[in-house]
Amino acid sequence: MKGTAAHIVRTLLLSLITLFGVSVLIFLMLRVLPGDPARVLAGLNASEEQVARLREQLGLDQSLLAQYWSFITGVVTGDLGESARTSRPVSSEIAVRLPATLILAVTATVIGSVVGITAGVIAAVRRNSLLDHAISSVAMMGVSMPVYWLGLLLILLFAVTLGWLPAAGSGEPLSIVLPAVTLAAFSTALVSRMTRASMLEVLGQDYIRTAEAKGAAPRTVIIKHALRNAFIPILTVISLQFGALLGGAVLTETVFGWPGIGRLLVDSIGARDFAVVQGIVLVYAAVFILLNVIVDVLYVVVDPRIRY
Amino acid sequence: MNTTTTARRRTSRSRSLAAAAALALLVGACSVEDPEAPAGDGEGGGGVFSIAVGIDPDTFDPAGQTTTTVQNMVDYVVETLVTVDDEGTVGPRLAETFETSEDGLTVTLGLVEGAQFHDGTPFDAEAVKFNLERIIDPALTVPLGSPYEVIQSVTAVDESTVEITLTRPSPGFLSALSVTTAAMISPASVETGGNTNLNYQNPVGTGPYTFDSYTAGETVTVQKFADYWGEEPHYDTVNFRIVPEAATRESLLLAGQVDMIILPPVSDIEALQNNGDVEVLLAPSDRTIFIALDNNDPVLSNPQVRQALNYAVDKETIVDSVLFGAAEVMNAPMAPSLFGYCETGSYDYDPDRARQLLAEAGAEGATLDLLTPSGRYVQDAQAAEAIAGYLREVGLTVNVTTSDFPSFLARVNAPPSPETVDMHLLGWAPAYLDADFQMQMFRQATHPPAGLGTAFYTNPEVEAILAQADVEIDQDTREQLYCDASEIIWEDAPWIFLWTQSFPIVHSTDVEGIGSTPTEKFDAIYARPAS
Repeated sequence: MKGTAAHIVRTLLLSLITLFGVSVLIFLMLRVLPGDPARVLAGLNASEEQVARLREQLGLDQSLLAQYWSFITGVVTGDLGESARTSRPVSSEIAVRLPATLILAVTATVIGSVVGITAGVIAAVRRNSLLDHAISSVAMMGVSMPVYWLGLLLILLFAVTLGWLPAAGSGEPLSIVLPAVTLAAFSTALVSRMTRASMLEVLGQDYIRTAEAKGAAPRTVIIKHALRNAFIPILTVISLQFGALLGGAVLTETVFGWPGIGRLLVDSIGARDFAVVQGIVLVYAAVFILLNVIVDVLYVVVDPRIRY
Repeated sequence: MNTTTTARRRTSRSRSLAAAAALALLVGACSVEDPEAPAGDGEGGGGVFSIAVGIDPDTFDPAGQTTTTVQNMVDYVVETLVTVDDEGTVGPRLAETFETSEDGLTVTLGLVEGAQFHDGTPFDAEAVKFNLERIIDPALTVPLGSPYEVIQSVTAVDESTVEITLTRPSPGFLSALSVTTAAMISPASVETGGNTNLNYQNPVGTGPYTFDSYTAGETVTVQKFADYWGEEPHYDTVNFRIVPEAATRESLLLAGQVDMIILPPVSDIEALQNNGDVEVLLAPSDRTIFIALDNNDPVLSNPQVRQALNYAVDKETIVDSVLFGAAEVMNAPMAPSLFGYCETGSYDYDPDRARQLLAEAGAEGATLDLLTPSGRYVQDAQAAEAIAGYLREVGLTVNVTTSDFPSFLARVNAPPSPETVDMHLLGWAPAYLDADFQMQMFRQATHPPAGLGTAFYTNPEVEAILAQADVEIDQDTREQLYCDASEIIWEDAPWIFLWTQSFPIVHSTDVEGIGSTPTEKFDAIYARPAS
C-alpha cells in the first residue's frame, strides 16, 4: 500500500501541471472565439459607449497577459471571479449546479454498471443463445440511439401517455428516473458489451476448467473466478464512462430541464461568459484527475497483483 | 448454467446495488397510484399556476434586463410607470397621469395613491426619482438603457408628482418608461435582503406578486402580495419552470404538469391547434425579420437590385411551409404594433419582374453571400436556405453560411470593409413600441459599429424626416412623418422585407384570461380557472 500512497501523491502533484495547462488552453480558446462578450452581454440595442464601458468593467480592454494573470492569481487564491452574465461569483454558480450533475451521473453509472454487468455476464455465459442475441441487439440500440430522441420518447411514454413520471425538472423524488435512464442507456450498452467480451476471454482459460473440474458451483465459478478476473477492463470502461457522463450530460440536462452544470456551461459559452466557462472547465479537469486517482486505487482493491 | 440461480447468490455489494435499483422501480410503481396532481387547482382563488419557459434568468434586476422572457417573470414583481397597448398608445400604471410640455423638455407624472412596495416602503415621488436616477447611473450596467440617457434631472415636486427634465425632446420617452428596465424597485431594497445596488438579485417592487425564490436552472417562484394596490390576481403562487427544450415544454403541458408554455416546437403548432385540450395563441410581436443587404456593395448599392431581391422571394410560402404559419409577412418597414406604423406596400412574389429588374441593373447572375444565425429566431437558418433557393431561381449564385449568435454579431456589427457580408438575416424587436426605435435601423448614426444599422443604408430625405420626428411633439404629425419615411424606405428596399414573427403561447383549456403583449411577452397575471 505504501507504493500506492506514493503513487497517489505523485499523480496529484503532476496534476497541478495538467491543471495549469488546462487553464492556459481554455483561456486562449475562449479568446480566439469570435464574438465580443461585452456586445453579447449589453444586448443588440446597447450603444457603443455602453459596450465600451462594459468591456472596461469586465477587464477585456487589458492585454491578454494581464487578463490571464488576474485569472490565474484568482484561481490560486480560490477566487474564480464573477459571472459577467449574472454578476454572481463563479464559485457559487458552480456550487449550485454541480451537485445536480453529479447525482445524475452517479445514478446513471450505477444503473449502467448493474444492468450492464448483469446483462454482459448472462450474454457471455449463454453465448450464442437467443438471450445472448437479444441482449446484443438491445445493446446495439442503446449505443446507437441519440440521447435527444430517446429522452423525448421516454417523456412521451412515461409523462404524457402514462402520466407516471415528471417530464422535466428535479423538484420531485421521481424526477431523476427518466434523465438517469436516458443517460445510462449508452453506458449500459457499452458496459454489457465489454463485460461479455471480457468474460468470454476469461471463461476460455484453463483455471476456469480446473475450477469446474474440482466441482465448484457454477455461480462460484462465474462470479468468483471469472467475473473478478474479467473486472479490470470493465472497471476501466465504467470509470471512463462516468467521466464522459459528467461532461456529456448536457444533452440529457437540456431535454429534461435538469439544472446541471452542463447546461450552465453551454449557456455560458453562448453568452461568452468567460469567467464561468473557465471555472467550469477547471472544475471538470480537477474532477477527472480525482476520478483517475480513485480508479487507480480501485484497481489495487480489485486486483491485489497490481502494484504502483 | 442457470442465470436465475446466479442472481439468487449475489455478493453483498451487488445486492445493495440491486436493492437501490429495485427501490427505484418500487418508487416508480408507487407513482401509478399517486399520479401528478394537476398544476392548477384553483377553487375560489388560491392554487398554483405553472408556466414553462425556455430561458434561465441572468438577473432579476429590472435595470439589467436583456430578454423578454426574463422581463416577463420580473414583471410579476415590479411595475412600470406607464403601459403601452397593442397600437403603441401609452396608458397609465403607477403613473395615473403623464404630460409632456409644449417644448417637449418636461414630462410631468401624477402617481397613483396607495401603492406600496412589498417591504412596506410607500411608493411616492422620491421612489420614482431614485429609480430613474439609478438607471442613468454610469456605474450600473443597463443594457436597454439608451432611451433614458436623455434624462437631465428628476424632481419630486410633491409626494405624488414627479417632473422629469430632458436634455432634448424625445417623443419615444414616455413609451420607453413602459419597459421593464424602468420598473420601480423599493429604494430601501438595494441594501437589504442580499442585494446591493450593483448586484440586485431579489427584486422588491409594487407588483401583484412578491419574489419568493429562484433555483438556478430550474424554477422561479412568486407569491401573491396581499396588499397589492390594484386588482387581485387569482393564483396564490406562480411557478416558472425553466425548460430549455421546446419539445419537453410541450410534453409538460400535454402531461398536465404545467398550465401554460411559451414557444412550443413550431412544427407542432398545427397539431396543438387541433388538440382540444390546449389553446394556441399566435401573438403578433414587434420583431421584424429581414435580410439586411449591404447597401455599400457595388451590386447591392443599386435600389433596382434590392427591389429585385424583394420580388424574387415568396414570403407567403416560406411563412406557411417553413415557419408553419408563425409569422405575418411585412407590409411596412416595421411591425404593425408600433406607433407610427402605416401599411406601406408589398413586394408580391414576382420572379419575372425580379429577373427583369436584375437585367436592367446589369446584375444577372451575380454572386451573393448570405449569413444567418442558427436558432436565434424562429426557423432562421431554414428560412435562409429557402430564401437562397428563391434567389437562385432568378439566376443569382447564393452561398449560405450559418454561425452561432455571438460570432454572427461580431461579423455584422463591424465597420464597413471588404469583408462585410453581402446579406444577412437579422431580427429586430424595438424595446418600446414606437417607430422611433425601429427607424434607428435606417439612420447613418447607427451604422456599425455605433449601432445595428447593419444595412449601411442612408437617404438624406429619410434623415431629414426622422430628424424632424425626433423633436415633433404633436403625435399626429409625428405619426405622419414616420409614414412618409416608411414610404421612401420601402421603395429604397435596404432589406429584403420578410415577416413579423409571432410569439406562440399555448395553455391548457382548463385556464383562461391569458393574453399577450406585442413585445414578445405573455400576459397571464390574471389567469384563472376556466369557468
